[in-house]
Amino acid sequence: MRIFDFLLKIDRRIIYIVMAVLVTLPLVKPLGLGVTSGPRATALFEAVDQIPAGKTLLISVDFDPSSMPELYPMLTALMRHAFAKNVKVLMCGLWLTGAGLADQAVQTIAPEYQKKYGEDVVYLGWKAGVDAVILGMGANIKDVFANDYYGHPLDSLPMMREVQRLRDIPLAVAISAGTPGYADWLLYGQSRYGLRVGVGITAVSAADAYPFLQSGQLTGLLAGMKGGAEYEVLVQQHGYSKAYMPAVAAMDSQSLAHVVILVLVVIGNVAFFATRRRRPV
Amino acid sequence: MKRSIPLAICLVMGIAMMIQFFVPHPVSVGFFDLTTKWVRIVAAFALVLGTGSLVMYHVDKLKRKREGWVYSIVTLVAALVTTVVGLGWGVKPGRPLQDVIFQNFLVPLNASMFAILAFYMASAAYRAFRARTREAALLLIAAFVVMLGMVPIGAKIPMFWFMVALAVALLIVGITGRSKMLVVGTGVLVVGLLVWMGFWKFRVPQLMLPDTAEWVLSVPNMAAKRAILFGVALGGIATSLKVILGIERGWLGGGKQ
Repeated sequence: MRIFDFLLKIDRRIIYIVMAVLVTLPLVKPLGLGVTSGPRATALFEAVDQIPAGKTLLISVDFDPSSMPELYPMLTALMRHAFAKNVKVLMCGLWLTGAGLADQAVQTIAPEYQKKYGEDVVYLGWKAGVDAVILGMGANIKDVFANDYYGHPLDSLPMMREVQRLRDIPLAVAISAGTPGYADWLLYGQSRYGLRVGVGITAVSAADAYPFLQSGQLTGLLAGMKGGAEYEVLVQQHGYSKAYMPAVAAMDSQSLAHVVILVLVVIGNVAFFATRRRRPV
Repeated sequence: MKRSIPLAICLVMGIAMMIQFFVPHPVSVGFFDLTTKWVRIVAAFALVLGTGSLVMYHVDKLKRKREGWVYSIVTLVAALVTTVVGLGWGVKPGRPLQDVIFQNFLVPLNASMFAILAFYMASAAYRAFRARTREAALLLIAAFVVMLGMVPIGAKIPMFWFMVALAVALLIVGITGRSKMLVVGTGVLVVGLLVWMGFWKFRVPQLMLPDTAEWVLSVPNMAAKRAILFGVALGGIATSLKVILGIERGWLGGGKQ
Protein backbone atom coordinates (compact mmCIF):
# COMPACT_ATOMS: atom_id res chain seq x y z
CA MET A 1 0.00 0.00 0.00
CA ARG A 2 3.03 2.27 -0.09
CA ILE A 3 2.15 3.25 -3.62
CA PHE A 4 -1.20 4.69 -2.44
CA ASP A 5 0.55 6.65 0.30
CA PHE A 6 2.86 8.10 -2.32
CA LEU A 7 -0.07 8.88 -4.65
CA LEU A 8 -1.86 10.65 -1.81
CA LYS A 9 1.06 12.99 -1.19
CA ILE A 10 2.45 13.91 -4.60
CA ASP A 11 4.61 16.99 -4.22
CA ARG A 12 2.95 20.06 -5.69
CA ARG A 13 6.16 20.93 -7.57
CA ILE A 14 5.84 17.66 -9.54
CA ILE A 15 2.26 18.64 -10.42
CA TYR A 16 3.43 22.07 -11.56
CA ILE A 17 6.18 20.60 -13.75
CA VAL A 18 3.83 18.03 -15.35
CA MET A 19 1.27 20.77 -16.01
CA ALA A 20 3.89 23.14 -17.47
CA VAL A 21 5.31 20.48 -19.79
CA LEU A 22 1.93 19.28 -21.03
CA VAL A 23 0.64 22.81 -21.62
CA THR A 24 3.79 23.91 -23.43
CA LEU A 25 4.30 20.88 -25.67
CA PRO A 26 1.20 21.33 -27.88
CA LEU A 27 2.15 24.97 -28.42
CA VAL A 28 5.48 23.79 -29.90
CA LYS A 29 4.09 20.74 -31.66
CA PRO A 30 0.27 20.95 -32.13
CA LEU A 31 -1.71 17.75 -31.66
CA GLY A 32 -4.26 18.77 -34.29
CA LEU A 33 -7.29 17.71 -32.25
CA GLY A 34 -9.43 20.09 -34.31
CA VAL A 35 -12.32 22.33 -33.29
CA THR A 36 -15.91 21.92 -34.43
CA SER A 37 -18.30 24.82 -34.04
CA GLY A 38 -21.27 24.39 -31.75
CA PRO A 39 -24.77 25.87 -32.09
CA ARG A 40 -24.15 28.86 -29.79
CA ALA A 41 -21.08 30.10 -31.67
CA THR A 42 -22.86 29.46 -34.98
CA ALA A 43 -25.86 31.51 -33.79
CA LEU A 44 -23.62 34.50 -33.08
CA PHE A 45 -21.75 34.03 -36.34
CA GLU A 46 -25.02 34.01 -38.30
CA ALA A 47 -26.28 37.09 -36.45
CA VAL A 48 -23.12 39.02 -37.41
CA ASP A 49 -23.27 37.57 -40.92
CA GLN A 50 -26.82 38.88 -41.38
CA ILE A 51 -25.92 42.51 -40.59
CA PRO A 52 -26.27 44.38 -43.90
CA ALA A 53 -23.07 45.90 -45.33
CA GLY A 54 -22.68 49.51 -44.20
CA LYS A 55 -24.53 48.95 -40.92
CA THR A 56 -22.76 48.90 -37.57
CA LEU A 57 -21.73 46.19 -35.14
CA LEU A 58 -21.14 47.40 -31.58
CA ILE A 59 -18.42 45.55 -29.66
CA SER A 60 -18.08 46.25 -25.97
CA VAL A 61 -14.62 45.33 -24.67
CA ASP A 62 -15.41 44.46 -21.06
CA PHE A 63 -12.28 42.63 -20.00
CA ASP A 64 -8.73 43.31 -18.89
CA PRO A 65 -5.37 41.72 -19.67
CA SER A 66 -5.94 38.87 -17.18
CA SER A 67 -8.62 37.39 -19.45
CA MET A 68 -6.87 38.42 -22.65
CA PRO A 69 -5.81 34.88 -23.74
CA GLU A 70 -9.43 33.73 -23.54
CA LEU A 71 -11.28 36.77 -24.84
CA TYR A 72 -8.97 38.73 -27.14
CA PRO A 73 -9.17 36.07 -29.92
CA MET A 74 -12.97 36.51 -29.88
CA LEU A 75 -12.54 40.26 -30.35
CA THR A 76 -10.16 39.90 -33.30
CA ALA A 77 -12.25 37.16 -34.96
CA LEU A 78 -15.41 39.28 -34.62
CA MET A 79 -13.67 42.33 -36.08
CA ARG A 80 -12.28 40.30 -39.00
CA HIS A 81 -15.73 38.89 -39.71
CA ALA A 82 -17.36 42.33 -39.63
CA PHE A 83 -14.71 43.99 -41.79
CA ALA A 84 -14.79 41.16 -44.34
CA LYS A 85 -18.57 41.71 -44.64
CA ASN A 86 -18.09 45.51 -44.90
CA VAL A 87 -19.91 45.95 -41.62
CA LYS A 88 -18.74 48.98 -39.63
CA VAL A 89 -17.43 48.44 -36.12
CA LEU A 90 -18.15 50.72 -33.18
CA MET A 91 -16.21 49.85 -30.04
CA CYS A 92 -16.48 50.92 -26.44
CA GLY A 93 -15.69 49.39 -23.07
CA LEU A 94 -17.05 49.15 -19.55
CA TRP A 95 -13.65 48.20 -18.07
CA LEU A 96 -11.05 50.93 -17.68
CA THR A 97 -8.16 48.44 -17.85
CA GLY A 98 -9.50 47.05 -21.12
CA ALA A 99 -9.23 50.39 -22.94
CA GLY A 100 -5.72 49.68 -24.23
CA LEU A 101 -6.71 46.22 -25.50
CA ALA A 102 -9.48 47.60 -27.68
CA ASP A 103 -7.04 50.20 -29.03
CA GLN A 104 -4.58 47.41 -29.84
CA ALA A 105 -7.28 45.53 -31.77
CA VAL A 106 -8.26 48.66 -33.74
CA GLN A 107 -4.61 49.34 -34.63
CA THR A 108 -3.91 45.77 -35.81
CA ILE A 109 -7.13 44.41 -37.37
CA ALA A 110 -8.48 47.45 -39.27
CA PRO A 111 -5.35 47.82 -41.48
CA GLU A 112 -5.57 44.10 -42.45
CA TYR A 113 -8.80 44.94 -44.33
CA GLN A 114 -7.76 48.44 -45.42
CA LYS A 115 -10.45 49.95 -43.18
CA LYS A 116 -10.23 53.65 -42.38
CA TYR A 117 -10.59 54.96 -38.88
CA GLY A 118 -13.64 57.20 -38.60
CA GLU A 119 -15.30 55.74 -41.69
CA ASP A 120 -15.31 52.00 -40.98
CA VAL A 121 -14.32 51.78 -37.34
CA VAL A 122 -14.62 54.06 -34.32
CA TYR A 123 -13.43 53.42 -30.80
CA LEU A 124 -15.24 55.43 -28.14
CA GLY A 125 -13.12 54.43 -25.15
CA TRP A 126 -14.27 54.17 -21.55
CA LYS A 127 -16.45 56.38 -19.34
CA ALA A 128 -17.34 55.95 -15.69
CA GLY A 129 -20.91 55.07 -14.81
CA VAL A 130 -21.74 51.71 -16.52
CA ASP A 131 -25.57 51.79 -16.41
CA ALA A 132 -25.69 55.54 -16.96
CA VAL A 133 -23.27 55.17 -19.89
CA ILE A 134 -25.43 52.50 -21.58
CA LEU A 135 -28.66 54.40 -20.90
CA GLY A 136 -27.03 57.61 -22.17
CA MET A 137 -25.88 55.82 -25.36
CA GLY A 138 -29.48 54.73 -25.85
CA ALA A 139 -30.58 58.37 -25.91
CA ASN A 140 -27.60 59.91 -27.73
CA ILE A 141 -24.08 58.50 -28.02
CA LYS A 142 -22.57 61.97 -28.42
CA ASP A 143 -23.99 63.03 -25.07
CA VAL A 144 -21.90 60.38 -23.37
CA PHE A 145 -18.84 60.39 -25.63
CA ALA A 146 -18.29 63.88 -27.01
CA ASN A 147 -14.88 62.70 -28.27
CA ASP A 148 -13.60 59.25 -29.20
CA TYR A 149 -10.71 57.46 -27.46
CA TYR A 150 -8.16 59.35 -29.58
CA GLY A 151 -9.67 62.76 -28.86
CA HIS A 152 -11.49 63.33 -32.17
CA PRO A 153 -14.90 64.99 -31.76
CA LEU A 154 -17.58 62.46 -32.79
CA ASP A 155 -19.13 65.07 -35.12
CA SER A 156 -15.93 64.96 -37.19
CA LEU A 157 -16.18 61.18 -37.80
CA PRO A 158 -18.30 60.28 -40.87
CA MET A 159 -19.39 56.91 -39.43
CA MET A 160 -20.99 58.56 -36.41
CA ARG A 161 -23.43 60.54 -38.57
CA GLU A 162 -25.40 57.35 -39.14
CA VAL A 163 -24.94 55.93 -35.66
CA GLN A 164 -26.46 58.29 -33.15
CA ARG A 165 -28.09 56.02 -30.59
CA LEU A 166 -28.34 52.34 -29.70
CA ARG A 167 -31.45 51.90 -31.86
CA ASP A 168 -29.24 52.56 -34.94
CA ILE A 169 -27.19 49.46 -34.12
CA PRO A 170 -28.50 46.06 -35.32
CA LEU A 171 -26.32 43.97 -33.00
CA ALA A 172 -24.04 44.44 -30.02
CA VAL A 173 -21.55 41.86 -28.80
CA ALA A 174 -20.32 42.23 -25.25
CA ILE A 175 -17.03 40.44 -24.65
CA SER A 176 -17.15 40.16 -20.90
CA ALA A 177 -14.91 38.82 -18.17
CA GLY A 178 -17.39 39.58 -15.39
CA THR A 179 -19.15 42.61 -13.98
CA PRO A 180 -19.79 45.10 -15.54
CA GLY A 181 -20.45 43.22 -18.75
CA TYR A 182 -23.10 41.55 -20.87
CA ALA A 183 -25.67 41.59 -18.05
CA ASP A 184 -25.58 45.41 -18.04
CA TRP A 185 -26.08 45.52 -21.80
CA LEU A 186 -29.11 43.22 -21.36
CA LEU A 187 -30.51 45.17 -18.40
CA TYR A 188 -30.16 48.65 -19.82
CA GLY A 189 -29.43 48.33 -23.55
CA GLN A 190 -31.89 45.57 -24.40
CA SER A 191 -34.74 46.07 -21.94
CA ARG A 192 -34.97 49.82 -22.60
CA TYR A 193 -33.80 50.23 -26.20
CA GLY A 194 -34.37 46.77 -27.70
CA LEU A 195 -30.68 46.26 -28.45
CA ARG A 196 -29.89 42.77 -29.77
CA VAL A 197 -27.04 41.37 -27.68
CA GLY A 198 -24.57 38.54 -28.29
CA VAL A 199 -21.87 37.62 -25.82
CA GLY A 200 -18.34 36.33 -25.56
CA ILE A 201 -17.50 35.26 -22.04
CA THR A 202 -14.85 33.47 -19.97
CA ALA A 203 -15.46 29.73 -19.59
CA VAL A 204 -15.82 30.05 -15.83
CA SER A 205 -18.75 32.49 -16.20
CA ALA A 206 -20.43 30.70 -19.11
CA ALA A 207 -22.88 28.78 -16.92
CA ASP A 208 -24.32 32.12 -15.71
CA ALA A 209 -25.20 33.15 -19.27
CA TYR A 210 -27.18 30.02 -20.20
CA PRO A 211 -30.56 31.18 -18.81
CA PHE A 212 -30.35 34.38 -20.91
CA LEU A 213 -29.49 32.32 -23.96
CA GLN A 214 -32.44 29.96 -23.57
CA SER A 215 -34.84 32.85 -22.94
CA GLY A 216 -33.74 34.38 -26.26
CA GLN A 217 -32.28 37.50 -24.66
CA LEU A 218 -28.83 36.55 -25.89
CA THR A 219 -28.41 36.04 -29.62
CA GLY A 220 -25.37 33.77 -29.34
CA LEU A 221 -22.66 32.80 -26.92
CA LEU A 222 -18.92 32.25 -27.19
CA ALA A 223 -17.81 30.44 -24.05
CA GLY A 224 -14.14 30.64 -23.13
CA MET A 225 -11.23 29.92 -25.39
CA LYS A 226 -13.23 27.17 -27.06
CA GLY A 227 -15.89 29.70 -28.03
CA GLY A 228 -13.19 31.93 -29.51
CA ALA A 229 -11.71 28.96 -31.38
CA GLU A 230 -15.13 27.99 -32.74
CA TYR A 231 -15.66 31.53 -34.04
CA GLU A 232 -12.17 31.64 -35.58
CA VAL A 233 -12.90 28.36 -37.39
CA LEU A 234 -16.25 29.68 -38.69
CA VAL A 235 -14.61 32.89 -39.95
CA GLN A 236 -11.92 30.89 -41.79
CA GLN A 237 -14.34 28.28 -43.14
CA HIS A 238 -16.38 31.07 -44.76
CA GLY A 239 -13.23 32.57 -46.27
CA TYR A 240 -13.36 35.83 -44.32
CA SER A 241 -9.85 35.51 -42.92
CA LYS A 242 -6.65 33.57 -43.36
CA ALA A 243 -5.01 34.95 -40.25
CA TYR A 244 -3.34 32.87 -37.55
CA MET A 245 -5.93 31.48 -35.10
CA PRO A 246 -4.54 31.89 -31.55
CA ALA A 247 -7.53 30.31 -29.79
CA VAL A 248 -7.50 27.23 -32.05
CA ALA A 249 -3.75 26.87 -31.46
CA ALA A 250 -4.26 27.02 -27.69
CA MET A 251 -7.08 24.46 -27.58
CA ASP A 252 -4.67 21.48 -27.65
CA SER A 253 -2.95 22.88 -24.57
CA GLN A 254 -6.26 23.42 -22.85
CA SER A 255 -7.34 19.86 -23.67
CA LEU A 256 -4.20 18.45 -22.09
CA ALA A 257 -4.51 20.76 -19.06
CA HIS A 258 -8.05 19.45 -18.45
CA VAL A 259 -6.85 15.86 -18.82
CA VAL A 260 -4.00 16.48 -16.34
CA ILE A 261 -6.45 17.87 -13.77
CA LEU A 262 -8.86 14.95 -14.25
CA VAL A 263 -6.07 12.35 -14.00
CA LEU A 264 -4.85 14.01 -10.79
CA VAL A 265 -8.38 13.95 -9.35
CA VAL A 266 -8.67 10.22 -10.21
CA ILE A 267 -5.27 9.49 -8.64
CA GLY A 268 -6.21 11.48 -5.53
CA ASN A 269 -9.52 9.62 -5.15
CA VAL A 270 -8.08 6.14 -5.75
CA ALA A 271 -5.37 6.79 -3.14
CA PHE A 272 -7.91 8.36 -0.77
CA PHE A 273 -10.26 5.35 -0.83
CA ALA A 274 -7.39 2.84 -0.74
CA THR A 275 -5.91 4.36 2.41
CA ARG A 276 -9.19 5.44 4.05
CA ARG A 277 -9.55 2.38 6.28
CA ARG A 278 -6.09 2.87 7.75
CA ARG A 279 -6.68 6.50 8.70
CA PRO A 280 -8.01 7.32 12.15
CA VAL A 281 -11.50 8.89 12.03
CA MET B 1 -30.33 66.99 8.78
CA LYS B 2 -27.28 64.93 7.85
CA ARG B 3 -29.44 61.84 7.57
CA SER B 4 -32.92 63.18 6.83
CA ILE B 5 -31.96 65.13 3.66
CA PRO B 6 -30.29 62.13 1.94
CA LEU B 7 -33.24 59.95 3.02
CA ALA B 8 -35.72 62.45 1.54
CA ILE B 9 -33.73 62.67 -1.75
CA CYS B 10 -33.60 58.88 -1.92
CA LEU B 11 -37.36 58.55 -1.34
CA VAL B 12 -38.36 61.20 -3.89
CA MET B 13 -35.91 60.08 -6.59
CA GLY B 14 -36.64 56.38 -6.04
CA ILE B 15 -40.39 56.85 -6.48
CA ALA B 16 -39.89 59.33 -9.37
CA MET B 17 -37.65 56.91 -11.28
CA MET B 18 -40.09 54.04 -10.74
CA ILE B 19 -42.97 56.11 -12.18
CA GLN B 20 -40.76 57.47 -14.97
CA PHE B 21 -40.00 53.95 -16.25
CA PHE B 22 -43.67 53.39 -17.13
CA VAL B 23 -44.41 56.87 -18.58
CA PRO B 24 -43.14 57.48 -22.14
CA HIS B 25 -44.15 61.23 -22.09
CA PRO B 26 -41.41 63.65 -23.38
CA VAL B 27 -41.20 65.31 -19.94
CA SER B 28 -40.56 61.92 -18.37
CA VAL B 29 -37.96 61.02 -21.03
CA GLY B 30 -36.25 64.42 -20.55
CA PHE B 31 -36.15 63.85 -16.79
CA PHE B 32 -34.61 60.42 -17.39
CA ASP B 33 -31.91 61.86 -19.71
CA LEU B 34 -31.08 64.52 -17.15
CA THR B 35 -30.76 62.08 -14.28
CA THR B 36 -28.52 59.70 -16.25
CA LYS B 37 -26.17 62.68 -16.79
CA TRP B 38 -26.19 63.27 -13.04
CA VAL B 39 -25.37 59.61 -12.45
CA ARG B 40 -22.34 59.84 -14.78
CA ILE B 41 -21.07 62.89 -12.88
CA VAL B 42 -21.62 61.21 -9.50
CA ALA B 43 -19.81 58.08 -10.81
CA ALA B 44 -16.79 60.22 -11.75
CA PHE B 45 -16.70 61.64 -8.19
CA ALA B 46 -17.04 58.12 -6.80
CA LEU B 47 -13.80 57.21 -8.62
CA VAL B 48 -11.97 60.00 -6.79
CA LEU B 49 -13.55 58.87 -3.52
CA GLY B 50 -12.51 55.26 -4.20
CA THR B 51 -8.92 56.26 -4.95
CA GLY B 52 -8.80 58.37 -1.77
CA SER B 53 -10.18 55.50 0.28
CA LEU B 54 -7.60 53.08 -1.19
CA VAL B 55 -4.72 55.45 -0.43
CA MET B 56 -5.95 56.08 3.14
CA TYR B 57 -6.32 52.35 3.79
CA HIS B 58 -2.78 51.57 2.65
CA VAL B 59 -1.22 54.57 4.42
CA ASP B 60 -2.90 53.43 7.64
CA LYS B 61 -1.64 49.86 7.09
CA LEU B 62 1.86 51.23 6.56
CA LYS B 63 1.74 53.42 9.70
CA ARG B 64 0.62 50.54 11.90
CA LYS B 65 2.99 48.08 10.17
CA ARG B 66 0.18 45.56 9.80
CA GLU B 67 0.86 42.17 8.17
CA GLY B 68 1.78 42.57 4.50
CA TRP B 69 2.59 46.30 4.84
CA VAL B 70 5.39 45.90 2.28
CA TYR B 71 2.77 45.29 -0.41
CA SER B 72 1.10 48.56 0.55
CA ILE B 73 4.32 50.34 -0.50
CA VAL B 74 4.07 48.66 -3.91
CA THR B 75 0.41 49.73 -4.24
CA LEU B 76 1.09 53.33 -3.22
CA VAL B 77 4.18 53.69 -5.42
CA ALA B 78 2.33 52.18 -8.40
CA ALA B 79 -0.64 54.52 -7.82
CA LEU B 80 1.68 57.53 -7.52
CA VAL B 81 3.76 56.71 -10.60
CA THR B 82 0.64 56.02 -12.71
CA THR B 83 -0.95 59.29 -11.58
CA VAL B 84 2.20 61.35 -12.24
CA VAL B 85 2.76 59.77 -15.67
CA GLY B 86 -0.93 60.16 -16.56
CA LEU B 87 -1.13 63.80 -15.45
CA GLY B 88 2.31 64.73 -16.82
CA TRP B 89 2.30 63.05 -20.22
CA GLY B 90 -1.42 62.50 -20.81
CA VAL B 91 -3.50 59.35 -21.22
CA LYS B 92 -3.81 59.16 -24.99
CA PRO B 93 -2.31 56.27 -27.02
CA GLY B 94 1.39 56.71 -27.76
CA ARG B 95 2.06 58.29 -24.36
CA PRO B 96 4.07 56.46 -21.64
CA LEU B 97 0.94 55.55 -19.66
CA GLN B 98 -0.35 53.49 -22.56
CA ASP B 99 2.89 52.29 -24.15
CA VAL B 100 5.01 51.64 -21.07
CA ILE B 101 2.78 51.16 -18.04
CA PHE B 102 -0.16 49.44 -19.75
CA GLN B 103 1.58 47.37 -22.44
CA ASN B 104 4.80 46.52 -20.59
CA PHE B 105 3.63 46.25 -16.99
CA LEU B 106 -0.12 45.75 -16.63
CA VAL B 107 -0.66 43.35 -19.54
CA PRO B 108 2.13 40.85 -18.68
CA LEU B 109 1.54 41.07 -14.91
CA ASN B 110 -2.20 40.54 -15.21
CA ALA B 111 -1.85 37.75 -17.76
CA SER B 112 0.80 35.97 -15.65
CA MET B 113 -1.39 36.15 -12.53
CA PHE B 114 -4.26 34.49 -14.37
CA ALA B 115 -2.01 31.90 -16.06
CA ILE B 116 -0.64 30.76 -12.68
CA LEU B 117 -4.20 29.75 -11.74
CA ALA B 118 -3.90 26.65 -13.96
CA PHE B 119 -1.13 25.31 -11.71
CA TYR B 120 -2.93 26.13 -8.46
CA MET B 121 -6.18 24.65 -9.77
CA ALA B 122 -4.45 21.39 -10.72
CA SER B 123 -2.84 21.10 -7.30
CA ALA B 124 -6.00 22.14 -5.41
CA ALA B 125 -8.24 19.77 -7.41
CA TYR B 126 -5.87 16.87 -6.68
CA ARG B 127 -5.90 17.61 -2.94
CA ALA B 128 -9.47 18.69 -2.31
CA PHE B 129 -11.75 17.12 -4.93
CA ARG B 130 -12.66 13.88 -3.13
CA ALA B 131 -15.81 11.80 -3.47
CA ARG B 132 -16.32 11.73 0.30
CA THR B 133 -20.13 11.83 0.05
CA ARG B 134 -22.74 10.91 -2.57
CA GLU B 135 -23.25 14.61 -3.38
CA ALA B 136 -19.49 15.12 -3.82
CA ALA B 137 -19.35 12.03 -6.06
CA LEU B 138 -22.15 13.42 -8.25
CA LEU B 139 -20.36 16.78 -8.46
CA LEU B 140 -17.16 14.97 -9.41
CA ILE B 141 -18.83 13.03 -12.24
CA ALA B 142 -20.55 16.18 -13.55
CA ALA B 143 -17.21 18.03 -13.44
CA PHE B 144 -15.55 15.21 -15.38
CA VAL B 145 -18.24 15.28 -18.07
CA VAL B 146 -18.21 19.08 -18.46
CA MET B 147 -14.42 19.51 -18.28
CA LEU B 148 -13.82 16.87 -20.94
CA GLY B 149 -16.89 17.80 -22.96
CA MET B 150 -15.77 21.42 -23.28
CA VAL B 151 -12.40 20.70 -24.93
CA PRO B 152 -11.67 19.17 -28.37
CA ILE B 153 -10.33 15.93 -26.90
CA GLY B 154 -13.79 15.30 -25.37
CA ALA B 155 -15.42 15.37 -28.81
CA LYS B 156 -13.60 12.15 -29.60
CA ILE B 157 -14.90 10.26 -26.54
CA PRO B 158 -18.26 8.43 -26.80
CA MET B 159 -20.35 8.83 -23.64
CA PHE B 160 -20.83 5.06 -23.47
CA TRP B 161 -17.11 4.35 -23.14
CA PHE B 162 -16.77 7.18 -20.65
CA MET B 163 -19.41 5.47 -18.50
CA VAL B 164 -17.65 2.10 -18.89
CA ALA B 165 -14.37 3.72 -17.76
CA LEU B 166 -16.24 5.30 -14.86
CA ALA B 167 -17.68 1.90 -13.85
CA VAL B 168 -14.22 0.31 -13.97
CA ALA B 169 -12.74 3.16 -11.93
CA LEU B 170 -15.55 2.90 -9.36
CA LEU B 171 -15.01 -0.86 -9.10
CA ILE B 172 -11.25 -0.48 -8.57
CA VAL B 173 -11.73 2.25 -5.99
CA GLY B 174 -14.53 0.23 -4.33
CA ILE B 175 -12.39 -2.93 -4.09
CA THR B 176 -9.16 -1.22 -2.96
CA GLY B 177 -11.06 0.92 -0.48
CA ARG B 178 -13.38 -1.96 0.55
CA SER B 179 -16.32 0.37 0.06
CA LYS B 180 -19.63 -1.48 -0.31
CA MET B 181 -21.31 1.72 -1.44
CA LEU B 182 -18.96 2.09 -4.43
CA VAL B 183 -19.24 -1.58 -5.43
CA VAL B 184 -23.06 -1.31 -5.31
CA GLY B 185 -22.77 1.97 -7.26
CA THR B 186 -20.77 0.14 -9.94
CA GLY B 187 -23.48 -2.54 -10.15
CA VAL B 188 -26.18 0.11 -10.61
CA LEU B 189 -24.07 1.82 -13.29
CA VAL B 190 -23.52 -1.47 -15.18
CA VAL B 191 -27.26 -2.26 -15.10
CA GLY B 192 -27.95 1.30 -16.33
CA LEU B 193 -25.47 0.84 -19.18
CA LEU B 194 -27.08 -2.47 -20.21
CA VAL B 195 -30.56 -0.88 -20.21
CA TRP B 196 -29.19 2.03 -22.24
CA MET B 197 -27.62 -0.39 -24.72
CA GLY B 198 -30.93 -2.23 -24.86
CA PHE B 199 -32.57 0.90 -26.24
CA TRP B 200 -29.90 0.90 -28.96
CA LYS B 201 -30.43 -2.81 -29.80
CA PHE B 202 -27.17 -3.69 -28.00
CA ARG B 203 -24.96 -1.51 -30.15
CA VAL B 204 -22.76 1.23 -28.64
CA PRO B 205 -24.97 4.36 -28.37
CA GLN B 206 -23.81 7.23 -30.59
CA LEU B 207 -23.86 9.87 -27.87
CA MET B 208 -20.60 11.78 -27.50
CA LEU B 209 -19.30 13.41 -24.34
CA PRO B 210 -19.93 17.04 -25.46
CA ASP B 211 -23.65 16.19 -25.94
CA THR B 212 -23.87 15.12 -22.31
CA ALA B 213 -21.85 18.15 -21.18
CA GLU B 214 -24.31 20.32 -23.10
CA TRP B 215 -27.22 18.60 -21.34
CA VAL B 216 -25.61 19.13 -17.92
CA LEU B 217 -25.22 22.85 -18.69
CA SER B 218 -28.60 23.32 -20.34
CA VAL B 219 -30.82 21.42 -17.92
CA PRO B 220 -29.64 20.93 -14.31
CA ASN B 221 -27.24 23.90 -14.39
CA MET B 222 -29.84 26.20 -15.93
CA ALA B 223 -32.53 25.14 -13.46
CA ALA B 224 -30.22 25.98 -10.55
CA LYS B 225 -29.07 29.24 -12.13
CA ARG B 226 -32.65 30.34 -12.82
CA ALA B 227 -33.61 29.69 -9.20
CA ILE B 228 -30.62 31.74 -8.03
CA LEU B 229 -31.39 34.55 -10.49
CA PHE B 230 -35.03 34.74 -9.36
CA GLY B 231 -33.89 34.78 -5.74
CA VAL B 232 -31.36 37.53 -6.44
CA ALA B 233 -33.94 39.59 -8.38
CA LEU B 234 -36.55 39.32 -5.63
CA GLY B 235 -33.91 40.14 -3.03
CA GLY B 236 -32.84 43.15 -5.12
CA ILE B 237 -36.40 44.45 -5.32
CA ALA B 238 -36.93 43.99 -1.57
CA THR B 239 -33.63 45.71 -0.72
CA SER B 240 -34.34 48.59 -3.13
CA LEU B 241 -37.76 49.15 -1.54
CA LYS B 242 -36.17 49.09 1.92
CA VAL B 243 -33.59 51.69 0.81
CA ILE B 244 -36.20 53.91 -0.88
CA LEU B 245 -38.52 53.78 2.13
CA GLY B 246 -35.66 54.47 4.55
CA ILE B 247 -35.87 51.11 6.35
CA GLU B 248 -32.38 50.10 5.24
CA ARG B 249 -29.97 52.91 6.13
CA GLY B 250 -26.58 51.20 5.92
CA TRP B 251 -25.70 53.26 2.80
CA LEU B 252 -25.78 56.47 4.87
CA GLY B 253 -22.65 55.33 6.70
CA GLY B 254 -21.86 56.00 10.33
CA GLY B 255 -21.34 59.32 12.12
CA LYS B 256 -23.50 61.67 14.13
CA GLN B 257 -26.98 62.85 13.14
